[in-house]
Amino acid sequence: MKIISKDHVSILIGIIGFFIPFFLSIPGLSEAGHVALSIFIIAAVFWMLEPVPIYATSIMVILLQVFFLSKQGLLFPEITAEYSPNAYTDFIGTLANPIIILFLGGFVLADAAVKFDLDKNLTRILLKPFGSKPKFIILGLMVVTGLLSAFMSNTATTAMMMTVILPIIAKTEASDPLRIGIALSIPFAANIGGIATPIGTPPNAVVIGALSNQGIDIAFTEWMVLAGPLVIIVLFVTWLVLLWMFKPETDSIPMDLKGKFQKNSSAILVYVVFGATVLLWVTESLHGVGSSIIALIPVTVLALTGILDKDGIRQLPWEVLWLVAGGISLGISMESTGLAEWIITNIEWSIFSPVFMIIIFSLVAIVMSNFLSNTVSATLLIPLAVSLATSGVAGEGFSLVLISLVIGVSASLAMMLPISTPPNAIAISTGTLKTRHMTRAGFVIGIFGLLMVTLYALFYWPLILN
Amino acid sequence: MDHKIYILIVEDELEVMDALVKDLENFETFFPVETANDTTEAEKVIDYILDHGHRIGLILCDHVLPGKNGVDLLIDLQKNENTAKSKKVLVTGQAGHEDTILAINKADLDHYVAKPWTEEELQDVVRDQLTAYVIENEKNLLAYMQILDAEKLSEAMRKHKMTDH
Repeated sequence: MKIISKDHVSILIGIIGFFIPFFLSIPGLSEAGHVALSIFIIAAVFWMLEPVPIYATSIMVILLQVFFLSKQGLLFPEITAEYSPNAYTDFIGTLANPIIILFLGGFVLADAAVKFDLDKNLTRILLKPFGSKPKFIILGLMVVTGLLSAFMSNTATTAMMMTVILPIIAKTEASDPLRIGIALSIPFAANIGGIATPIGTPPNAVVIGALSNQGIDIAFTEWMVLAGPLVIIVLFVTWLVLLWMFKPETDSIPMDLKGKFQKNSSAILVYVVFGATVLLWVTESLHGVGSSIIALIPVTVLALTGILDKDGIRQLPWEVLWLVAGGISLGISMESTGLAEWIITNIEWSIFSPVFMIIIFSLVAIVMSNFLSNTVSATLLIPLAVSLATSGVAGEGFSLVLISLVIGVSASLAMMLPISTPPNAIAISTGTLKTRHMTRAGFVIGIFGLLMVTLYALFYWPLILN
Repeated sequence: MDHKIYILIVEDELEVMDALVKDLENFETFFPVETANDTTEAEKVIDYILDHGHRIGLILCDHVLPGKNGVDLLIDLQKNENTAKSKKVLVTGQAGHEDTILAINKADLDHYVAKPWTEEELQDVVRDQLTAYVIENEKNLLAYMQILDAEKLSEAMRKHKMTDH
């Protein structure tokens, strides 16, 4: 017997939602805007209810836009007063957007690092100075996790760090709150660390991609200068919060991480390429060569030397690139059809102060990404922010870059639930802690994060951006 | 998870069977345990489990059984593509030299537990074998972190190129 599942219902809602705008005539919204609204609705429903994987929705978004909104598509072959259709290459071109290439470089580097245990060996070395006192061990774990997740995926970093902390947890008394503190320190630090660089985590890519569509290019270094200080303070406060909530009882943790740097020629090449690429990325403002261009170097060198082989290329996380590309692509037509502007002009923004809007966008991003994928949350919010800024309805003091940063950063500050991020799911799966522990600590960090984002957006970011 | 991963015990002596089942109690909530007294019954149980869309993760098998012996059963299961990946462990005191060699070469035997065993030893073997099985055959490893070797599962996830979304 076939039962109608929740997924079937979700798909039906999405499809019905897709057709609704075809039967409506919304004043103030162009014909193309109606079509863009259809695509937005089905994408939002699929992304939020997830009847299909989120990357599949992204792929569908690109197809729908090419079919219905591009110049080569079915509905808008001609330029009209209301809508000058994008070429279909604008939509499929998002797959080669500079930020996607930057991510590709990041993936290739991270894979090589894992293959040659560079991540583990760096962890071993970097943890040494933190001694054996529980509170400093936790700090050390968080610093290392944050640092690695700035350049690798937060999830892969968390999985790796689990191999470090599980033996510690196993040796700790079952009643010692230290276990919970340590188990939470890793996913939290990974979530936060991902904010630090453009390649840290996909929501950053969504923000940078949307800004580049507006002709604003954020350099690798610039992002780090903007986001870095916030990451450091949130990481530090998270450490204090975890120590306060889960005060360790034991006064010493035995740490004996074994391992050795591999010394074969391939491994040494990987170390050099890794070091050189990261160095070139973080010095972008000195030499001026874009980070996406530099990202091609590790891809090329590792491919030429066979370290990135055919299997390695096939196993790259292409779905993440599709996910981000679909998000950037959706933003393009929400802008060009006037949909995003229509959505925001329905609200009388001028009555709100800039502070209020920063708080609202940050809060909405944090709440959304607690329940949805961080990338999806950023994708759905960014076009609105872009329109708010470019249309000028928000008034003076509402900077495009600023509000985009607010959304991008806030999307990574959601960590109240196991479903909030994959690192959270890993931590919960160990059985060391209960969801309520995560929710309590994640709530405090969310609130503090909101406060910090607001303060940075008011005082620090304008200083750097102007 | 839409399919379950079963542990199958094939043993003809009731007392031994009871001891095995008792020692594996911890695993039961994650890996349902099925039992069979001889190889014919074992084959029926396996067909039943597979027909319902579930999988056999681990077979603990005695050697000396009424009818066909344990090693022969394991060899047959190794030939069957539905059970080739299942982890195969002999739990016996009586498998001779030659049978054991046969089991290793022809049934790709994963482990040999000599009777009498200790509870801890058996649980370690089962944990190791099931960990290897889920790493090789399952997509979602998180579901097993609590019951199996979490460190090995984490390491496998690290190598699996897990991504953010």
